[in-house]
Amino acid sequence: MGFFDSLAQWLGVKKKEVNVMVVGLDNSGKTTIINHFKSPDAKSHDIVPTVGFSVERFKSKALAFTAFDMSGQGRYRNLWEQYYKECDGIIFVIDSSDKLRMVVAKDELNLLLENPELKNRTIPILFFANKMDARDAVSSVKCSHLLELQAISNKPWFICASNALTGDGLHEGVEWLTDQLKVVLQKKKK
Amino acid sequence: MLSLKRDKKEEEDGTGNPFNNLEKSTVLQEARTFNETPINPRKCGHILTKVLYIINQGEPIGQTEATEAFFAMTKLFQSKDPILRRLVYLGIKEMSKIAQDVIIVTSSLMKDMTGKEDQFRGPAIRALCSVTDHSMLQSIERYMKQAIVDKVPAVSSAALVSALHLGKGSHEVIKRWVNEAQEAVNSDNVMVQFHALGLLYHIRKTDKLAVNKLVSKFSKHTLKSPYAYCLLIRIAAKLIEEEDAGSDSPMFDFIESCLRHKSEMVIYEAAHAIVQLKNTTAKDLAPAVSVLQLFCSSPKPTLRFAAVRTLNKVAIKHPAAVTACNLDLENLITDVNRSIATLAITTLLKTGNESSVDRLMKQISTFMSEISDEFKIVVVQAIRSLCAKFPRKHNVLMTFLAQMLRDEGGFDYKKEIVDCIITTIEENAEAKEAGLAHLCEFIEDCEHTVLATKILHLLGREGPRTPTPSKYIRFIYNRVILENAAVRAAAVSAIAKFGAHCDDLLNSCVVLLERCQLDSDDEVRDRATFYVNVLKQQQKALSSAYILNGLQVSVVGLERALHQYTLEPSEVPFDLKSVPLAAQPISDQRVRDVPGENPSSKPSQDKVAASRQDVYQEQLAQVPELANLGALFKSSSPVEVTESETEYYIQCVKHTFSNYIVFQFDCTNTLNDQILEKVTVEMEPADGFEVTKYIPCPSLAYNKPGTTYTLVRLPSEPTQVTGTFACTLKFLVKDCDPQTGEPDEDGYDDEYVLEDVEVSVADHVQKVMKPNFAASWEEVGPENELEDTYALSTMNTLEEAIKNIIQYIGLQPCERSDKVPEGKSSHTLYLAGVFRGGHDALVRAKLALDSSGVTMQLTVRSTDPHVSEVLATAVA
Repeated sequence: MGFFDSLAQWLGVKKKEVNVMVVGLDNSGKTTIINHFKSPDAKSHDIVPTVGFSVERFKSKALAFTAFDMSGQGRYRNLWEQYYKECDGIIFVIDSSDKLRMVVAKDELNLLLENPELKNRTIPILFFANKMDARDAVSSVKCSHLLELQAISNKPWFICASNALTGDGLHEGVEWLTDQLKVVLQKKKK
Repeated sequence: MLSLKRDKKEEEDGTGNPFNNLEKSTVLQEARTFNETPINPRKCGHILTKVLYIINQGEPIGQTEATEAFFAMTKLFQSKDPILRRLVYLGIKEMSKIAQDVIIVTSSLMKDMTGKEDQFRGPAIRALCSVTDHSMLQSIERYMKQAIVDKVPAVSSAALVSALHLGKGSHEVIKRWVNEAQEAVNSDNVMVQFHALGLLYHIRKTDKLAVNKLVSKFSKHTLKSPYAYCLLIRIAAKLIEEEDAGSDSPMFDFIESCLRHKSEMVIYEAAHAIVQLKNTTAKDLAPAVSVLQLFCSSPKPTLRFAAVRTLNKVAIKHPAAVTACNLDLENLITDVNRSIATLAITTLLKTGNESSVDRLMKQISTFMSEISDEFKIVVVQAIRSLCAKFPRKHNVLMTFLAQMLRDEGGFDYKKEIVDCIITTIEENAEAKEAGLAHLCEFIEDCEHTVLATKILHLLGREGPRTPTPSKYIRFIYNRVILENAAVRAAAVSAIAKFGAHCDDLLNSCVVLLERCQLDSDDEVRDRATFYVNVLKQQQKALSSAYILNGLQVSVVGLERALHQYTLEPSEVPFDLKSVPLAAQPISDQRVRDVPGENPSSKPSQDKVAASRQDVYQEQLAQVPELANLGALFKSSSPVEVTESETEYYIQCVKHTFSNYIVFQFDCTNTLNDQILEKVTVEMEPADGFEVTKYIPCPSLAYNKPGTTYTLVRLPSEPTQVTGTFACTLKFLVKDCDPQTGEPDEDGYDDEYVLEDVEVSVADHVQKVMKPNFAASWEEVGPENELEDTYALSTMNTLEEAIKNIIQYIGLQPCERSDKVPEGKSSHTLYLAGVFRGGHDALVRAKLALDSSGVTMQLTVRSTDPHVSEVLATAVA
């Protein structure tokens, strides 16, 4: 990084950059969540299933996020692992109205946690129990039970219910992630 | 910053290509930098350029390595740097065929293609189309359609061209984009219009009627783009060609009207199309030629070049039309652009008359040293055709060729000259002495081994028959002293031929060869020893068989036979007659892709020397029922036994063995709603022939060639060799779905009548070249000689008679006796070959032309009395 970049960062003009991955089953709302964070003129109106991945940027209070919005379709899930190495945090999106596939989500989560790239790293995981407005949606507590989140011991995690269409709960989750990532970055500096 | 410094340094010490000496593994290692965050666009861009360079140098990259690099590269989508992004697009396109899971970038590319950055959109579309497979195409179809009608020309063009590429695999999907393409044709942008027209044509090109409509529609409605016009002219010209239409076709009117277009490009394209057409009269040509003539005096060198090149190409076909431009071409001889000048001169040489040759040759020699080898070859080719046209001018041309031989030049150029001299020598007996002298001089200082050996071989063949053979021996023996082993060996063989042919030189040749026995190279010594011993026997027959005639069998066949012999040792000595003979003429040795062949035998086709017959031999050996028929004697060339464009397309190849004939039928089913099973060809044999076995083709799907065989035993009576066979194709038809190829459960028997297949004498003989016919004639001797006189009343010229005799008897004409010198009324034709079973067969036909036709005295000599009889009756 050039001299001006570090100067800008020191002055607080330029925000620190972090990479996060957005994963989850297909039709859970990953792209919609990212879309919500984008500036109004960059928003896209119709969301189509992602093929492969796409890179998006958005900002929170203190950090500039580069999000790898991964495709959730079954045949692309094995490609997630190509991007684990460089990410600083993970956003795992769950369709809380899809009780049937909760076990599939759990399997995918376990695969992710067991991946050698992530297994021994302390990286924060943010869970969005999305589609909380749906009539048969389960609560975030129920969700964490179904996914057995309490078993995750070596990584900080947080679950919050969300509605990506209105934006309810999204900022709460991202604030938590920002705080966690700041801690990590500070540790890195030391 | 660091990389900047390094770049500077590289530039300073590495003159020339900074990417020289890149190592693949290092570059791929460096590509891991892409994974780092934050991204350094400058550095990553540099590395990506290196990766692209490596790929484009043709270095093979493994799938795993490529996939790793590809995924690393996908991370560069984080950066917004425009240069880096465009490099990424290039990288995706290059790696889309070698890496796995390239589909991962689809969404990222779709985002860019619909995004706001116009400069990303076109390249993103192209990259997207390279990663999309046919199953995924539907998901991007909507965006592609939008892009085609986009108002930004670059985007529209990119989408149209990508659609063209996609059309190769998924024609059905692209067909649906026709409306968008129609709209794009109306674009104001010249390139978009051109590409859109290209796509429209591509979609409709299988439908002749639709293409016709397309051309007539756009030829009326004025297109803006000259490129589109050029394309339209090409399509129209192709249509005229396909329909065999003359100048009355509306297509021709359109092309003709383009001669008055305002763009030079279109005018040239139209003129070019007209002069290339087949059925044109002088009147049709005139406007096109006058346009080209005008271009010849254009101030633009490109136009002059294009015009003169086109004229050069058609000079042979339309000499009269091109002669009209002679004056302009004369002016171009002194053109500063040497390429134009060369083409102008060679065109004039092609059309010129005998008197202008001297002047043109003088003119061309003034700048031969200034033009590149490629154009020198054009000049040599022009001279070659001149030699054929004006045999009397050979001394001017020969001197010129000799001059060119002495000049600097690459291998291709020298080879062309040598070939030209050799053909001239063969065509024109008067030029022989001079030509040989030039070649002798050339090998004194020739750096190309291939050419030196070729010339030595020629000297060995032609030298002994000249009035003073002794003068060539000095040149040849010099080679033995001065050259490398391959040339020395060729020289030894050449000397031996002089010894075998000229009795008065025999002793001197033996002395020279004895000296060669002390050579340092094995091959040279072996040859010398062999020749000395043969020559010392002083027997004409021996010399003729082992020195003058050389090896007649096919090398690949010999190798296989010897290998077989070593695998199964036996008391019987190896018999050279069991080896298939080399097919004559040699130009017929192209390897054909034989349908219905097992993949296991494929590699044998790649052998350079494998002749057509060797391929067949291999193929027949794969069929267990045909494996033990013995060695294949001869395979005929394929004959069509169906009309073209009928339901089934069938070719027949006749394979002759010592006691059997195998008829191989290569069948293609051209109906897409039928599958044929148990396909056989039933044959109604002629007298004495007996059909012993049918080997059916189990299944014949649409457009997939299959092969069925019919085995026929030859009559026991040795003189009965010819016959006509009526053939019927029998099969079981099953209807099937044209799309899926899924057949119905049950079918029905059907048959199809084929044309008759004939077995003639020519199927029983193999052509063999005897360079010294007289010696071979004496060698066989008169025991089984038969002589008869025929009156060939239907023939009016000697050439015609000779052509027919060769066709009936199927033997190889020797000593160029198939060419009749002009103005002679009598001629002797020498034919040589081997009859089935390995019997030598020689035919001498003395022909005389008189008012009632051609009279022929036919003399046949052979090692077997029956063979003589068969051959003597072949013409009758």
